[in-house]
Amino acid sequence: MAASPETLIAGRYAVQLGQPVPEAGGGLPCFVAQDHHTGDTGLIAIQVRRDAPARFHALQMLVQPIDGLLCPLAHGTAPAPRGDAGYFVICPAPPGPSLAGHLRPWPEAALISFALRPIALVLEKLAGHNLTHRAIRLNNVFQGGRGQPLVLGAAWAAPPAMHQPGLFEPPYSAMCHPAGRGDGSIADDVYALGVLLLALALGRVPMAELDDIAILRRKLEQGSHAGLVGDERLPPLISDLLRGMLAEDPEHRPTPTLLLDPGVARSRRVAARPPRRAQRPLSVGDVTVWDARSLAFALGIQYEQGTNALRSGMVMQWLRRGVGDAALASHVDELVRSRMADAPTEESRPDAMLLMRAVASIDPLSPLCWRGTALWPDGLGALLVAAAADPAVTVTLEDMVAAEAGATWANLRPDRSDLPLLRMEARQNRAWLATRGLAGGLPRLTYLLNPLLPCASPLLAGRWVTRLAEVPRAIEAAIAANPKTVPLDAHLAAFIAARGDSRMEAETNALTGTVQNPVGLPELRLLAELQVRQEAGPLPALAAWIVGAAAPMIALWSNRQRRRELTDRLKALAPAGQLLPMLVLLEDPSGRAADAAGARVAAAELNRIDAELLAISASNAQRRNAATRIGQEIAAGVGLVAFAAMLALAVLG
Amino acid sequence: MPAVARGPRRRSLTWLQGLGCGAAVALVPAAALLLGVLLLPGMLSVAYDRQPGRPVARTVLLCGAAAVVAPAMALWNAGATIDASLALLGDLRVTGTAWSAAAVGWILAELAPVVALAVLETVTAARAARLRSERDKLASEWGFEND
Repeated sequence: MAASPETLIAGRYAVQLGQPVPEAGGGLPCFVAQDHHTGDTGLIAIQVRRDAPARFHALQMLVQPIDGLLCPLAHGTAPAPRGDAGYFVICPAPPGPSLAGHLRPWPEAALISFALRPIALVLEKLAGHNLTHRAIRLNNVFQGGRGQPLVLGAAWAAPPAMHQPGLFEPPYSAMCHPAGRGDGSIADDVYALGVLLLALALGRVPMAELDDIAILRRKLEQGSHAGLVGDERLPPLISDLLRGMLAEDPEHRPTPTLLLDPGVARSRRVAARPPRRAQRPLSVGDVTVWDARSLAFALGIQYEQGTNALRSGMVMQWLRRGVGDAALASHVDELVRSRMADAPTEESRPDAMLLMRAVASIDPLSPLCWRGTALWPDGLGALLVAAAADPAVTVTLEDMVAAEAGATWANLRPDRSDLPLLRMEARQNRAWLATRGLAGGLPRLTYLLNPLLPCASPLLAGRWVTRLAEVPRAIEAAIAANPKTVPLDAHLAAFIAARGDSRMEAETNALTGTVQNPVGLPELRLLAELQVRQEAGPLPALAAWIVGAAAPMIALWSNRQRRRELTDRLKALAPAGQLLPMLVLLEDPSGRAADAAGARVAAAELNRIDAELLAISASNAQRRNAATRIGQEIAAGVGLVAFAAMLALAVLG
Repeated sequence: MPAVARGPRRRSLTWLQGLGCGAAVALVPAAALLLGVLLLPGMLSVAYDRQPGRPVARTVLLCGAAAVVAPAMALWNAGATIDASLALLGDLRVTGTAWSAAAVGWILAELAPVVALAVLETVTAARAARLRSERDKLASEWGFEND
């Protein structure tokens, strides 16, 4: 069946929903795609989940294909399997099946030639673009056939490392919320490559019997290399390489460039010491720890218990006597004393800050831990999206952003973070979060940090709107389908504010819509601005809706006759579907000024009449007195006239 | 009862009025008799009218005086004697006319304020109605109905 141009991605790629290829997407839904320009069907379309936006930066940067990597060719909306709109990333199809189903032990030469070198080359090129892959795992690495180099699958249709098993992630990434692992560094890909090499060398998945938490604890307690390799016998070259590639400290891992020459890479010995094991364990909540790294992890993920352990002094005592690290114990003790010296407060933020500082001090490699949620600061955007379904995590993240925790955390490890950048981002995020009004707060921050996140407004249900240009037509379609729909809600306002420029931002910040009065002049101004600037064409359904809801805007005018005229003229304008003339009609500053002046004059006249009526009703007695006086004067006058007349008659005779 | 402000003390002129009346009785007894009887209602109203300026007495006296002009002229023409005066007083038409005129004056003094009040009320009500109509028009034109 021929696809209509509207359903083609980038005007040329059609998604064949009837031909799923589940193993090609690295765990994500995947379908065969066809290039309508060339007829090529050797493509795949990986479906993006609504709550896991695609990687904008990678999709922008990867314009040139890289050998050994399924680079994105295009991305966009197309009908999804359930009939609603979906978002797909088009990539070349993998050359063969993934390694997940065909794991066998590889000889050392094959590992070097077909796994290490090709993938290191890809990683080197990615690093050259300032990108990371973060999806090197068995089901996302493909091989065309024996003797063929491995090809890395696509990693662009979901947040970085979101679908990585804990096994393939460094422990400090694995302990994070899956959506909050961030882009990381190329060293994290080197780590994943190291695990891949180990799995290929062994011909099986190491620690397959353990779940992610158990794997993480073992890595923390024993170190990644010891925990993963254990007593396994490996080829000497691979063993030496893995010692560096699986180092806990990213700075100790070899770079992809170095890995291209394994002989040199193996000579780069890393003096990685195993963690110092305490003489006795410490229980933090339900976790029993034997070393400082595990302690940092336990404190980081268990907020209440961690805070109690710190406040009670158990942690300092254990560090001093159990681990024998008096300097670290003193430092943590100083942090706790500093917190205790603060004025007592019911707020939990100081405790969260204390815990974050303590974790960063105990293990400087650990991620940012805030009230039980661990994340890397560059994963905040994707985590905000994923946390939308979990109010507790949302509140935690909101609090973290409001406290500028990212800047404080970076300040604690200045040699391992880009402190100025993180500080600037933390301030910017806080400012966005603090933006008041319909278009402010967490939704705005979420859209700003996720350029490819579709608008989550219920108005646009069933539509996938990621660009500002799509908003007017989407609203028009939504209104046409259901005229009772209100065309602007908080999500849409935040989305427009995030995607628009500074002028649009000013319009969105002025929004004042309420449930009772959803569309006022600011909302109409924004919609008209959108229509004009995005060249959206006529929007008759929206215009008709606005006419129906224009009563509050018309009510801004005082003169009733003018109101009737406005209503009639709006009705006449609506069929054309142009919002700007309607806005001009309703705004009309000079007309509004004249109307206001007329209303003031009318009000003054009304007051005068009221005062006069009041005076009339209050002057009964006065009037009675006046009537008496006048009546008596008249009577006297009549008597006088009669007397004068009689005198005159008498005189005249 | 409203407090009356004490003004500069005025000397009573009652003795002067008594002196005048005495002189009139002594000098022109016939005219004094005639006027005294015919203007009796007026003099009574002067005695009983306690309003400032005695407006009722004033009207009664003026109306009574209007009816006294003709008998006074007749007395004058008759020589201004006591007999002529008594003859005139004995004529019921003369006395009746004079007292009726005084009565008309009294009725006029009582009715005129009522009529004036009715006229004033009518005028005021018309003005209030015009103002209310004007107000309603303004209010509906500018949307002040609920004000």
